[in-house]
Amino acid sequence: MDRPTSRIPAIEVRNLTVSFGPKPALLDVSVSIDEGLLVGIIGPNGAGKSTLVKAILGFVKPDFGQVLIQGNSFEHARGKVAYVPQRGAVDWDYPITVEQVALMGRYGHVPWWKDLGSEDRHRVHEALEMVRMADFRHRQIGQLSGGQQQRVFMARALAQGGDILLLDEPFAGVDAATERAILDVLDRAKKSGRTLVVVHHDLATASEYFDRLILIKQRLYAYGEPERVLDPELLSEVYEGKLRAFGGLRGRGDGQ
Amino acid sequence: MIETMIHAFVGPLTETFFQKALIGGGIAAVVCGVVGCLVILRGMAFLGDALSHAMIAGVAGGYLFMKLVFTVEAHAPSMLVGSLLAAIITVSSISFVSRVSRIKDDTAIGIMYTGVFAAGVVLVSVFRNYIHIDLVHFIMGDVLGVADADLWVAALAAAAVLSVIVLFFRYFQLTSFDPIMAASIGMPVVLIDYALTTCVSLVVVSAVSMVGVILVVGLLITPAATAYLLCDRLDRMMFLSALFGVTSVIGGLYLCIWLDSSGGGAIMLFCTFQFIVVLFVAPRYGLLANWMRRRRMVPQQLVEDVLTCVLRAGPRGMSRSSIALHVNASSERLAKALRSMTREGLLEQTDGDFVLTQQGRQEANRVLRAHRLWETYLRQVGLAVTEVHRKAHELEHVHDKESVAYLDDILGHPVRDPHGTEIPRDQNSCIPGNVCSISLLGEGTSATIEFLRSPAREIGLETGDVIRVGSREEVDGAWQLHLPDGRRIRLDHEQADAIDARIVTVPENV
Repeated sequence: MDRPTSRIPAIEVRNLTVSFGPKPALLDVSVSIDEGLLVGIIGPNGAGKSTLVKAILGFVKPDFGQVLIQGNSFEHARGKVAYVPQRGAVDWDYPITVEQVALMGRYGHVPWWKDLGSEDRHRVHEALEMVRMADFRHRQIGQLSGGQQQRVFMARALAQGGDILLLDEPFAGVDAATERAILDVLDRAKKSGRTLVVVHHDLATASEYFDRLILIKQRLYAYGEPERVLDPELLSEVYEGKLRAFGGLRGRGDGQ
Repeated sequence: MIETMIHAFVGPLTETFFQKALIGGGIAAVVCGVVGCLVILRGMAFLGDALSHAMIAGVAGGYLFMKLVFTVEAHAPSMLVGSLLAAIITVSSISFVSRVSRIKDDTAIGIMYTGVFAAGVVLVSVFRNYIHIDLVHFIMGDVLGVADADLWVAALAAAAVLSVIVLFFRYFQLTSFDPIMAASIGMPVVLIDYALTTCVSLVVVSAVSMVGVILVVGLLITPAATAYLLCDRLDRMMFLSALFGVTSVIGGLYLCIWLDSSGGGAIMLFCTFQFIVVLFVAPRYGLLANWMRRRRMVPQQLVEDVLTCVLRAGPRGMSRSSIALHVNASSERLAKALRSMTREGLLEQTDGDFVLTQQGRQEANRVLRAHRLWETYLRQVGLAVTEVHRKAHELEHVHDKESVAYLDDILGHPVRDPHGTEIPRDQNSCIPGNVCSISLLGEGTSATIEFLRSPAREIGLETGDVIRVGSREEVDGAWQLHLPDGRRIRLDHEQADAIDARIVTVPENV
């Protein structure tokens, strides 16, 4: 499934360095993600996984280095990257309905003096249908189950129609059925040519879900095929022995 | 009697000062309410408080500037500009301090606004011989003595703020809900932040002459919080919040006339009263509704007992009296449970008998599966067959997915419980289209092989093979797969765990 490397990468991160106060969150990270891949970002807690996502989104200003989206600087790639936030980062008591959240995906397509048009509403409805949340569109978002909440934000990202999707821990705290449903949507998004980058915490499923893995802890430790990245020695260095069972992680990817 | 009532209500309306107070207070309340919604959703209430205090310094500064430079006494527009300047200085120094140091936002607010406020206090006391305005007027406000100039200021500020909020509604909504996405689609997040703080400053400035520095925060956040308890959409919340602001101005003004009290105090008192009423009676987020919901709630254990008991009775269902024989609950609690379960779509009533709905049957099967697995487990750890049912009846309520899956696995995915009855399959994962390990599939299931891991690689199966799961009992609890070419493959537990298959069909009534 590898594409020729001469094409412009979907996301190119060059020497990215971000710090909050005296602590570096990311140190000299360089990685180039080809179009159409499903990429997982793994690393221990506080490794800067979310910061990397925020930097790609242009929300965090780097101290040094740059992020290119399809070869363009962030200013010229607005709205190309859609984002599904971590569940803990959302105010679920916010007075907003499922449909209104999904409509936010269209905000970048409409100038400020115009209202959202019927075309926008149509795309939003389609996106909600795709994640099977259309029946809940008038519900306030706090009244949904964890998996449904996750799917609403997936719909928002789909309605936005960006070429690149960033998801921050979409599998955290959802049941198996939702995990399956999310994977399904990711799969379809990938088949339609999108590039997906997913922050992931579960090493056991990492090789099964993703085409490539990014292993970071402030620095970039590895980027490549799961079998290569899930190297027990590398993992125990990055996780400092906090994970005991690395055995068998590599084997699962071999079948693909 | 009626005449005095009419007089009490209509009388004040004929007075000019009352009309002005209504108009001025109403304008301030509308705009406070709308902006207040964004303030409470962003958690900026303390900032509003800080701004209103810092403005005192601005008022004094503006006054002194005009007096000392142009010798103009109490020049209203320059005092307004002064207070806006003070607000902007406060806000920018707050964001400066919290950005460059490890000091958190609320601490930075506390430091900077008391600093600016103190500067105002010192300024006023040093130049006390030059200052001929009554600062009490600013601290307490004087809604009944609203000057025409104040009215114009309030109206202009309100018009400006409202048009900004209406025009850029989507911007304010998205930056307050999800600033990261807002930034990613190119919204100027920092600029919008400043616009909102400027709006808050303008609103505070225009309302401060009516209700005073101390109470203006109340007018900003209380109506918004009241509306927050009632609304699930930001646009409606803003509308309702403005409405609550206006009603508190009207109610408060009458209160102030009748009691001959302070105007600002009466308005805020009425506003707080409105909030407390709504806090109790709000249909969804109110205390009363909460209490009712809790009263109607039925213990999960009772629900599950009823479910399994009706499931065991079979498709004909069960009457209430026979359920009562099997379930340990008072008839009143049972009736409540049955009502609630019918409402939630777990049970249906046909000719007086209760039967399970599709959803109810699934739920009951889940609990029954847990029950029978627990029985098998208890038997294996050495409990007598006669004892296991009673004990498992308590343990069956531990039926979360992980626990049951774990139990199933360590028991080697048993087919029958110690009494010889069949254990229901996991019906949530065993549905056509799903991928799961072969060890979880019941007899008669057909599936395509998706994935083979190490102990199952060399046994003659290939990815894409279509298999049917045979009877486990023929082969002493091992697994047997039937292939379309007539081959049969026998698997032990480890091998069965190592194969993932996509389910094509499952037999009916497993």
